[in-house]
Amino acid sequence: MNKDIKKIYEVDASQLKGSALDVVSPTNTEEVRRIITQTKNIVIRGAGTGLAGGCVPQHGSDVVLDMSKMDKISELDKERRTIEIEAGVILDDLQDYLSDFNLEFPVKPSSHAVVTIGGMIATDAVGNRAIKYRKTSDWIKWIEIIDSFGKVEKRGITELSDYSGMEGISGVIMRACLKLSPLKKRTATLLEVDNLDDVTSVVRKLKKNSAVSMIEFFDKEISKELGFDEHYHLIVEYEDDSGELKDKEYKKLLALRDKIYPFVADKGYTRIEDPKIMLDRFVKLMSWLESKNIPTFGHIGVGILHPCFNHEQEKYISEMMKLVKRLSGQISGEHGVGILKKEFVEMNDKKILINVKKRTDPLNKFNVGKVI
Amino acid sequence: MEKHKISEADRIEASNLMEEASDILDSCIKCGMCKSLCPVFKTLKEERVSARGKAIILSDKIMNKVVFECTLCKGCEQKCPLGIKVCDAIRKAREAMVLKGKGLKSNEEMIDNIRKTGNPFGKNIGNDPEKLYCC
Repeated sequence: MNKDIKKIYEVDASQLKGSALDVVSPTNTEEVRRIITQTKNIVIRGAGTGLAGGCVPQHGSDVVLDMSKMDKISELDKERRTIEIEAGVILDDLQDYLSDFNLEFPVKPSSHAVVTIGGMIATDAVGNRAIKYRKTSDWIKWIEIIDSFGKVEKRGITELSDYSGMEGISGVIMRACLKLSPLKKRTATLLEVDNLDDVTSVVRKLKKNSAVSMIEFFDKEISKELGFDEHYHLIVEYEDDSGELKDKEYKKLLALRDKIYPFVADKGYTRIEDPKIMLDRFVKLMSWLESKNIPTFGHIGVGILHPCFNHEQEKYISEMMKLVKRLSGQISGEHGVGILKKEFVEMNDKKILINVKKRTDPLNKFNVGKVI
Repeated sequence: MEKHKISEADRIEASNLMEEASDILDSCIKCGMCKSLCPVFKTLKEERVSARGKAIILSDKIMNKVVFECTLCKGCEQKCPLGIKVCDAIRKAREAMVLKGKGLKSNEEMIDNIRKTGNPFGKNIGNDPEKLYCC
């Protein structure tokens, strides 16, 4: 590939810059198999929307395997509510297709308009509706993978954890059979909350309501940037008519929510983290973040926060990770480890990941230098 | 083949245009949301044709023919959370490339055809050379 065009595939939404040996965009399984058997190091790329550098090639020795052209939607089983699709299918394209049958894939990351299903499985994407629909792997029946020897194999639910959430270190996800949910009519309410303790109690109460499918939190700073009053805010989405905002107004509010990350990035807050903590520890973490003037939003319903660090504040990230661990939280709730968070992975977790890597990718071919 | 001679004025103008294109795209945060409404990406499924792709190379002031693979529909601008005027940058880059003799041969042929026959394909389908005749 032309060296100028290659540059395009050496970057992702994390804004990390790497260097690739080459870029390939296969259109079928046989091509992928051939590439795998003929290539030493492969970095798998979906939509390139990751915030941890998971698809950034390194050292000039990685071949980028761009899965965007593997985008066929094949078998829909309306009765069993399942669909077989290729890894490069874009989530919103899938939703458009499914809406004709009154069905949907309910996991919805903010980047739903461009994100690929393969990328969602590889990072075990969570998204805004995790409170009700949990994560991507909960909606997978089986996946088809290619291992480092070029062997095509199916993996069922029991072996799924070797691939989902492993960020591509164990093999190339080619196809998947997804479980589907009936399409819902949704509404939303924007709540203004005065203090962090009240946020916790309101969220606790909302979580008991089975119609609530999303609870999103914005701190005062983010609220101000979005044009709301300078208070804490919660977007609460309902799968019935309980929400005050319906139809166009509902869609407008959700579209505003999807714009937050790029919006804060433009203000210089380019490093967005994703710690996950229990709700009763939320106030402690938030108070620390506020003491450092770090704007924060997140999927409070499932305890995932997105503190936004500017260049100067990046020095606080390791301090925050220590605090998250002290609060019995996880360093990454949904973005994955990629390159950026490798240093924060606990030794025990690292050992588990290394074992999976050795078992599934004995030739050490896929996404080398990522996660572990 | 005759080599395209570039005047000093054109060289400076091209350089200024590339600088302007680079400035417009410099604030791109590489989120990739531009791809969601891009008809060229939707058809080809190649990151290189996305606005993010073009921003990456134009930020480095690289002249590449990929800037001609754009319909200038502004779909990317609608989706860009920062409202970057991508199409303005692409127009400037195209102009710079034409000034440097790096435009598309097919475009030059089309312009020649229109001048000679009033038709982009060079077909003599009209009688008035001042008018533009469609295919």
